[in-house]
Amino acid sequence: MVKDFDLTSKMVNNVLVIKTEGYINNSGGEKIAQAFEEPFNSGVTKLLIDIENSKVVNSIGISFLIEIIEKLNSKGGKLYFTNLDPSIEKTFTIMGLFQFAEKVASIDDIK
Amino acid sequence: MASDLITEKLSFQVKSFQESFEILTNSISLNGMAKQFDKILRGNFFTTKVNIFHRDKNSPKWTNLINKNVFQHQSEVENFDELALKIVANSDSSELFTITKLIDSKLIAIVLGKKFDGTSYSEIDKITFQIFIQIFDSAYQVLLSRGKEKKLIFSLNNRVSQLYSLIDTGIEISKIRFGNDLLELALSRAIALTNSSYGRIKVTNKKGNIDEIHFPPNIIYGKPKVKFRLIKKFVDVGIEYEFTLCEKESREGIIQFEDTDELLLGAIARQVQAAIENDRANKEALENETMKRELAVAASIQKRILPEKLPTIDGYDISGINIPSKEVSGDYYNVFKLEDGRYAVIVADVTGKGMPAALLVSTLDASLRSYLDFHIPLSEMAVKMNTIIYKSSTADKFITFLIAVLNPENGDIDIINAGHNPALILRKNNKIEKIDAGGVAFGMFDMGLPFASEKLNLKKGERLFIFSDGIPEAMDKKEVEYTDERLEKYFVEVKPKSASEFISSIVADVRSHTKGEIQSDDITALYLIRQ
Repeated sequence: MVKDFDLTSKMVNNVLVIKTEGYINNSGGEKIAQAFEEPFNSGVTKLLIDIENSKVVNSIGISFLIEIIEKLNSKGGKLYFTNLDPSIEKTFTIMGLFQFAEKVASIDDIK
Repeated sequence: MASDLITEKLSFQVKSFQESFEILTNSISLNGMAKQFDKILRGNFFTTKVNIFHRDKNSPKWTNLINKNVFQHQSEVENFDELALKIVANSDSSELFTITKLIDSKLIAIVLGKKFDGTSYSEIDKITFQIFIQIFDSAYQVLLSRGKEKKLIFSLNNRVSQLYSLIDTGIEISKIRFGNDLLELALSRAIALTNSSYGRIKVTNKKGNIDEIHFPPNIIYGKPKVKFRLIKKFVDVGIEYEFTLCEKESREGIIQFEDTDELLLGAIARQVQAAIENDRANKEALENETMKRELAVAASIQKRILPEKLPTIDGYDISGINIPSKEVSGDYYNVFKLEDGRYAVIVADVTGKGMPAALLVSTLDASLRSYLDFHIPLSEMAVKMNTIIYKSSTADKFITFLIAVLNPENGDIDIINAGHNPALILRKNNKIEKIDAGGVAFGMFDMGLPFASEKLNLKKGERLFIFSDGIPEAMDKKEVEYTDERLEKYFVEVKPKSASEFISSIVADVRSHTKGEIQSDDITALYLIRQ
């Protein structure tokens, strides 16, 4: 099986920016969690996930995102999403992600 | 120590117990709880170190939840009594150890190291430690309950999300024209809804050719070997659509698909099937609409071309008819009075029906009107018209054509037959003459082939009959034709006074043969009597 998910991550000011590409499923969610873990343990409390190139997400992928939200919230931090596909935005809304996370147009909207 | 004194000392710590419980219940995992518990114990006992280990019931391995220290209390564990919460002290009571079983059968072992001031742990310390252990146990129960509650909410939200996604997918599928985009959408939604790792749609056409659509797109299907798969297929007009989902995911690894997954895949496959059927119905409706419009235009063209009324020829009685088998006929007939007083009587038959035939008939009519006014010999006119029709038509279109130019003064007729049914002349002696002189149908070849005309004379009482193949080839339910023989016999035997009577009666005779069967070809006829 060839690679079906990829991501890039970088720090922009005090925000960790992760840009995903492909299906956010078990392995995709796990890779996001791994990319988040080290910066989080180093004190990063703001994460922006740019989901423009991910059009499909399943509930296992979402469970990883919820764990990230819980970890950030426990430290007073927050998860932000940008470039959401409408169907994914609807799924996230139903799954309750936006009770604790926020959607933003760009990194400039993060205070 | 007197119990009153213990109670009094512990009462001072009630607030600390309450705060500890709140802190522990705010944790989101066992590790988080252990880290908080480490701080609580250090603060309350002024100890140099705390170790908290845990072990799953069926696992022999102890894991330190605080640091990487190795578990060194195997002998205490071997004597562990599940029912009693015991605090064990070392020989000089400088360290305390306990082991407890949590509600989900996990074992927690906690070691309190030496105090900063080097003093031993007192009895009240042991009781306090015991109470903290019970607080940890209670907080862990809260953590588990909250986890179960979260799982339940997640599961309910997921079901709602699946339902919405199914509805939205149906709406989106109905908006997209059938094609690969639609199949890709359906496949990706089915995969996400069922938590599948990947999947494909295999489309096998009637000839056995296979097209495959994969999601994720770069996946190589079946490598490595698929452990669990879910398949749904349907056939539409001989084309098989097979949906395959592979490897249902869970946080613990790949698992077997459930009944709900089968229902979800079935629902999406049915949506795709409905989209394919709707697409086909729409195409058919569109084609019918286009055909209707085309026929309406063709009918209006033909209406302008075919004569409403034939001219009256002194000394002759002439009548004609055209009955199209479809809305627009491919047959043509007309009678023109020429400038020199002669009359041109024409019957033609274009291959095909509808718009293409109507346009070709229109070309024939226009060129015919032009050439007839030039007074050129019929054979020369036929060559020129053949070239025009050849250039105006596709390879499968041609016109059979018969023209008879009548001099009404003396009954002389000049005829050319280009591949049409022979014209029939009924002589006074009741004998039939067949006129088939001419050449091949117009539009078949453009090699300058000559068309030979034939000259004859029609005497008083004699009759000329020109018709299209719709009469001899009219079929009954058993596909038995009316035939040339029956037509000729009728022509000989039935000789009414007027031309229109003959036309009406032969049409009635054809109808009596076909017995209400749908007319398979256009019927066109011209009948001329010299009075």
